[in-house]
Amino acid sequence: MSARLIQLLTASFLFFCVGVAIFPVLFPSKVEKTEQVVHQHRPPVRNIKVDDWTNDDEYVDDDDDAKWQEEPEDKTPDRRITGQDDEKFDEENVPIDPKQNVVPEARVNAEFSSALAEMRRTAEMLEKQEQENYKNDEFKAEDWANPEKIYYDLADRVLKKLGKLDDASIIKFLQSPANRLDLARITLIRKAGSQAIRSVAIRPKGKALLADLGGDLNWLSNTLYSGPTKNIDKGLCYLETLYGIAGAEEMEVPATRRIATTAALEFAREGWSENDLVSRFKYYNESWKEGKLNAYFDKLQYWETRFVTGCKQPSDGAGQWGSRRNLTWHRDNVRLPMEQYFGAEGQLEYRLRNVAGDSVFSSAYLAPIWKYVNFTTGWAYREIGGVCGALSHYATFSALAAGLPASTMGEPGHCAYAMRIGNEWRAGNSIYWRKDLHKTFWGEPEWDFLILTQKLYEDRFKTMAADQMVSMADFLTARRKMKAAFNSYEISAKFQPNNWPALKRYAAYLKFKAPEDREKWQTLHDAVMDGMGKTHYHAAATMLARYVYPNLAPLVKDRVKLNRMFSSLFTHFKDWGTNRWDIAPVLDAQIATCNSDADRKSYLRESLRVLMRRPDYSGAVLTWGLGYVGKLPEGDGKIQEEFTNMLVQAMSRTSTSKKQLDETWATLGEAIHAAAKGKERGTFQAIGKLAYRKCKKNFPKKGPQVKGFAGRVVSTTGWIDTATTIGDMKDCCLHWGVLQRFGGTMPGKFEGKSGLTVGLEKKCDFNGVVCVSHEKKLKNDRPFYLEVSDDGQNWQRVRPNGNIEGNMIRFDLKSSGVSGKFVRMLREGDKYEPGIAGFYVYGKPQR
Amino acid sequence: MFRNLFKALVMGVVMSAPAWSAIARTYPDALSKAGKHPIVIFIYGANYDKVGQATYEAFIKKNKIAPYIRQATFLEMPLYQQPNDREKKDMEKRLGGKRLPHGIWSYPCLAVVDSEENLRAVVQKPDEMKDPETALAALKVHLDNFYQQEKILDRARKAKGDKRAELLLEASDYDIRMPRGLTDPKGAEGDPELKNRLNFDPTTLVEALQIKSYDQANAHVRKMMAQGGYSKLQRQMIMAAYAGHLRRGGEGMEPASKERLRALYTEMRNIDPKSTYGAYAEGALVIWVEGGKLTDEPIPTEINRVDNKSIDDSGNGSGVGGNDTPAPAPGGSTTAMGSTEIPASDDDVGSVDEDFEGSGADTDGDDF
Repeated sequence: MSARLIQLLTASFLFFCVGVAIFPVLFPSKVEKTEQVVHQHRPPVRNIKVDDWTNDDEYVDDDDDAKWQEEPEDKTPDRRITGQDDEKFDEENVPIDPKQNVVPEARVNAEFSSALAEMRRTAEMLEKQEQENYKNDEFKAEDWANPEKIYYDLADRVLKKLGKLDDASIIKFLQSPANRLDLARITLIRKAGSQAIRSVAIRPKGKALLADLGGDLNWLSNTLYSGPTKNIDKGLCYLETLYGIAGAEEMEVPATRRIATTAALEFAREGWSENDLVSRFKYYNESWKEGKLNAYFDKLQYWETRFVTGCKQPSDGAGQWGSRRNLTWHRDNVRLPMEQYFGAEGQLEYRLRNVAGDSVFSSAYLAPIWKYVNFTTGWAYREIGGVCGALSHYATFSALAAGLPASTMGEPGHCAYAMRIGNEWRAGNSIYWRKDLHKTFWGEPEWDFLILTQKLYEDRFKTMAADQMVSMADFLTARRKMKAAFNSYEISAKFQPNNWPALKRYAAYLKFKAPEDREKWQTLHDAVMDGMGKTHYHAAATMLARYVYPNLAPLVKDRVKLNRMFSSLFTHFKDWGTNRWDIAPVLDAQIATCNSDADRKSYLRESLRVLMRRPDYSGAVLTWGLGYVGKLPEGDGKIQEEFTNMLVQAMSRTSTSKKQLDETWATLGEAIHAAAKGKERGTFQAIGKLAYRKCKKNFPKKGPQVKGFAGRVVSTTGWIDTATTIGDMKDCCLHWGVLQRFGGTMPGKFEGKSGLTVGLEKKCDFNGVVCVSHEKKLKNDRPFYLEVSDDGQNWQRVRPNGNIEGNMIRFDLKSSGVSGKFVRMLREGDKYEPGIAGFYVYGKPQR
Repeated sequence: MFRNLFKALVMGVVMSAPAWSAIARTYPDALSKAGKHPIVIFIYGANYDKVGQATYEAFIKKNKIAPYIRQATFLEMPLYQQPNDREKKDMEKRLGGKRLPHGIWSYPCLAVVDSEENLRAVVQKPDEMKDPETALAALKVHLDNFYQQEKILDRARKAKGDKRAELLLEASDYDIRMPRGLTDPKGAEGDPELKNRLNFDPTTLVEALQIKSYDQANAHVRKMMAQGGYSKLQRQMIMAAYAGHLRRGGEGMEPASKERLRALYTEMRNIDPKSTYGAYAEGALVIWVEGGKLTDEPIPTEINRVDNKSIDDSGNGSGVGGNDTPAPAPGGSTTAMGSTEIPASDDDVGSVDEDFEGSGADTDGDDF
């Protein structure tokens, strides 16, 4: 019995030991199980971390999982396609074809003729084929989860089809819609980057969107070739959101598709939020469906729709003019034919202060009315009134709310707007030539660029053909086919010379691949002059100044030749072009190529020789030159003096034709205004005297009657400035006249602490001051004050206040012992005063 | 005998016909037909605006508006965007060398114009123009005001001196624009009250007050109010300027107490609570007296009085600009349109057509 018991116990013990040994195998613990799963089933990190590959290593390090290290090394080559940077060129790791690894020689125009003829044919085919809307569903929704595979498959196919890679084969390739769709898919993946495509694909409707978009030539072309594609990776995510909201069926409706695509592109480009995007999309899509937009909206192409759907951020915190609420109000309360939106600011009263006396710039201005107007900006201003900003926004957003392109724009100290009537852009509420558009495609806010944008995309199929050629060139660059890439960029630039981004990209490629090739740079220079430079002077000059001169000038050793090339720019331009523009940056770029004072003098001599014969430019060059002199290092002042003399003498020699005199007068006015703002007494006087010599007729013949004081008029050689020039910018030389015996005119504005200020040549002891108004009988409702200063910074008020006698304000300072180098006259209240005809300070200069 | 019978028949028809509106085909035609009656111009976007076209269908094609305008002359005025030659000709023909009056903010609209081409009133807000019934109700108020005002203006035209000034003041109290010419400030020199109204400039008042002590400002404003002549709107503006000065505090002066501001803004609101500046005063009470904030939520005080159609944040609803509905005639209860039974639905159109056909109005070539 005991032996049997011992056997039983032994067997039980052995069974227990075996059980303990095999238990973990049969019933693994939770911890062990987790480790196993992590090790065996953890997906490759690259498939999860879709936003940023550069963080992969950090992700592994942070994991602190020793077993991760044991994973077999991934030896497959990196096949990612990085998002394209418009300023840079990424070349893929592919074998180099020696025949393609050369910079082709610069070609003369005749050598482009057959290529350009074929490009014209391509543009015609694009127009015809657009009606057919080529679709191809080769890549299914699931395929877009692996964009690298799509890209490389397509890349091989495209290269095979391109064959010889000469001009003819490349252009012929573009004539087939199937080929263009392949190129567009490649471009989409290249621009967004394969990671971004994958991250779109994992979104709820991402794959479906990519399959639809990537299979529809018209939609994809409009997405890629309707303007800038900055942040298109984000744009695709945004489009997926809208695709989800609208649904695939509604997205087939051309207007809905256009609204969604353009809004997504613009909101991504501007970096605006998704919430705002959805609100904007819903506004335009629902307005369109309800038939509440202007019928012209239906005619808009994608590029011009971007001005509308991409108008100001809905929640911009600066008036919320672009909010859905505000757009809705404008749409329903300001319904006009297109032509009447231009001038719609007339519905608002111009008011600097509201009826309660609150400034338009204070938060109290509209505060009490907000609830009444249901927090609607346009409505609030229509009730209360406003100044230029409110007026211009009102007209602009009335048009935008109806689906018509418009944009506000800045002018110095003023807000105006641009509105398109038909295909013509017009400047509204505008008072000055300098304009900075608030909506731009290329970050160039000046007027000429707006007109250039219009002309470029108006020529739709030509531009689309040129853009596709640039896409091809980018692809060839990535595949290291340098010769073909050069040829493609050049053909594109020749074929559509107004294509600012394409020219800029070619210049960047040239700098990347052949920075020392003078012939190529010269050819690009000539292409810009002959193409864009025919009409768009400002854009052409900017292209040269920014992208060509800095590269070409160091390669031209002969200074005389270089100076001639620079001056030829202005020989080429007939007038100001589409709008007056600031020539200073171009002249700055040109003179920056000079290495010595001798170079600078020779450059200035040649430039003045040409520019002084151009009525439009002669005054502007004087303004630039005086500004340039002011910026030179002080030294002994000799070079400054020489330059100033050269400029003033050159201006004195200009012809006296009426046009020349008008332009001279206007530009001298700007120069003298700048001199007064800079307190440059010598320049102020030099320009004043020059203006008097050249345009004497513009000054009064007979001076004002003045009841003066004892002593000399010490203000004649000084400068004078006032708080505003609005409305008289071109007549600023008359400000100089205000200090002279024969008189002049300037706005009577004595607001705040600015007042009317005079800087004298020397510190003086004062006997009195007389200000002569254009108003025969001045109102005596508020006193005039006089302040004096030694340094123009610290002011001291003198007594008594001004005595008003008819049209004169007289300050009697006899025996007051008051002295100073600066004098200013002030008055309370900010209302406009009558203009000033004369301002005379009597006294004696101190020794 | 037959001749006499025919005469009697015609006379009978003419005598029994109600006073239907005349329909003009061109603007000059309308001006010549109008006489002492107003012209109602239906202006709409004909080739660019689906809302305009739908309104045309509802208001004109279905014959909703014209029969109810009575003595007024009715004119249809399509507007064309980027007109082609045919459309240009049509517009030129309808305008007959004249220009539409200035001051209309939005189409489609019903503009009330007098025979001197003065724009007197417009029905143009989206809520008013949403259907013929609502538009007619708004138009009716304007037309009533027009006739009431014209009656007084007729007397004013014949009167002289104080009487004329008094009548002009009375006429300008109506919520409708005065015709040009009658209210030239130069002609008002003899009457201080009329002069006050015509020469009132809120900016000048703000400037005058800002250099005054509170007592001086109070005296200035009270004197103005006592002088009389100012319209409700002007009196509210005077109070706004006065309260604004006290709220900000002049140079070297502390802002006035909240109690004082409460009294001023309440006084300002009570002059005309439904006007824009009545609402302004209510808002001022919330933010500057109660220390509250104006939000999308209804204001939970007596302050929340202003009728106001709202647009929610999703943009639903249209909102209206300013005073929603034209104010009815101040004292008048008679209406120039008579008792207008506005058809409730399209079903009523048939009877309207029948009536209209019997009116003898000039309908040739029109869609009525």
